[in-house]
Amino acid sequence: MISAGEAGPRVASGVMARLVGVAGLTHNPLMWSLLASGTPDDLVTTASHVRSFRELVANLSPDVIVLVASDHLHMLVTSNMPAFMIGKSPSIRAVHPNEQRSFGLSPATIEGHPTLARYLLGGQGMTPEFDFAFSDEPWLDHSFVIPLLFLTPELDVPVVPIFTNGNSPPIPTAARFGHLGSYLADAIASAPGDERVLVVGSGHLAFELGGPRQFLGVSPDREFDRQAISWMADGDLDAAVAGSSFDRLTRAGNETYQFLNFVTCLAAAGSRHADVSAGPESRFGALPFFFWDLT
Amino acid sequence: MSRYTVNKALWDIDLTDANLEAFKADPAGFLDDFEASAHDPRPPYPRGGSLTEDERRAIETLDFGALYAMGVNPFLLWQFARSVAVPDRMTIDDLIASFREQTEPHGSPDFAT
Repeated sequence: MISAGEAGPRVASGVMARLVGVAGLTHNPLMWSLLASGTPDDLVTTASHVRSFRELVANLSPDVIVLVASDHLHMLVTSNMPAFMIGKSPSIRAVHPNEQRSFGLSPATIEGHPTLARYLLGGQGMTPEFDFAFSDEPWLDHSFVIPLLFLTPELDVPVVPIFTNGNSPPIPTAARFGHLGSYLADAIASAPGDERVLVVGSGHLAFELGGPRQFLGVSPDREFDRQAISWMADGDLDAAVAGSSFDRLTRAGNETYQFLNFVTCLAAAGSRHADVSAGPESRFGALPFFFWDLT
Repeated sequence: MSRYTVNKALWDIDLTDANLEAFKADPAGFLDDFEASAHDPRPPYPRGGSLTEDERRAIETLDFGALYAMGVNPFLLWQFARSVAVPDRMTIDDLIASFREQTEPHGSPDFAT
């Protein structure tokens, strides 16, 4: 186990935690509710990816999940909006009341992993590499919960949630999301303990909600989707960063900023070629599925 | 104009079933209470704020096109639109069509607060 009270990633010694894999996937709540009651024709390939990812994660047997997602103005509104924030409570509330009404999600309580969370924060001092905000009372919305329900349906793996601002401009740059991934990989690799750690990113390919290009039945920007899938398949972090400027993401759809959580995934995976890089088409556009097995 | 305060109002309306029902029953009364709350702030998330006449009108009359053009957060706007309009006023398919018609002329507004 990771021991409490460590001062930060740079002082670790002895047995280390291990980053065993990285997964990036969709959190579309409407798609989740459709799959919960059957498999429509346009979601057959998506459902297959979900089953496959669940098996891949089960085979990796993670002890803790570091989950990178963007709160959708549920817990965090712009009275206080951090760029990057770690939740470090031992018990984490999940699903907000309006998500019960809108999406049919059930409220849940998920075990946290405060020791690893504090380690990622830097222990008693802020890390020189990355300056997170933190919360002792994180409250997860669907962007966190749905990937967990897909990958670990019993919600029985402890989680360190990392909130990224992917919804309220100004959005951190793609380069910054890349630095986050590199930092997480380095910090996990140097964390004392024997945990098997899985990093999960939650987000979209080209996607729009609350604008004229929502619910078109197809992706709002197939060229962006094609490029994004190639960046992950090729392990090309530089191209992913260069191709994910704020203006380019805006053109791909007003919710596409959350693709940046996959840039974090790619960097956390050491810019390796993804073992899985897919974007099956559906009525919601292309749905992202990225996986790196690091064992 | 304050995108932040309009976002805050839409967030507040959709936050709980009680708030949503209160707004649907009396939009003007709800917004009166929302604005008055700014004079009794309770940290860490003080409620309320001042809305302009145009902002109040757009929220009260469910003018999604006007709200979109103001640059309110698109996610909050869609959640608000769906919660207040479906199923009381229209079907989800009708809302999607109406929403597209109202927002399309405005392109992709800057929605930074």
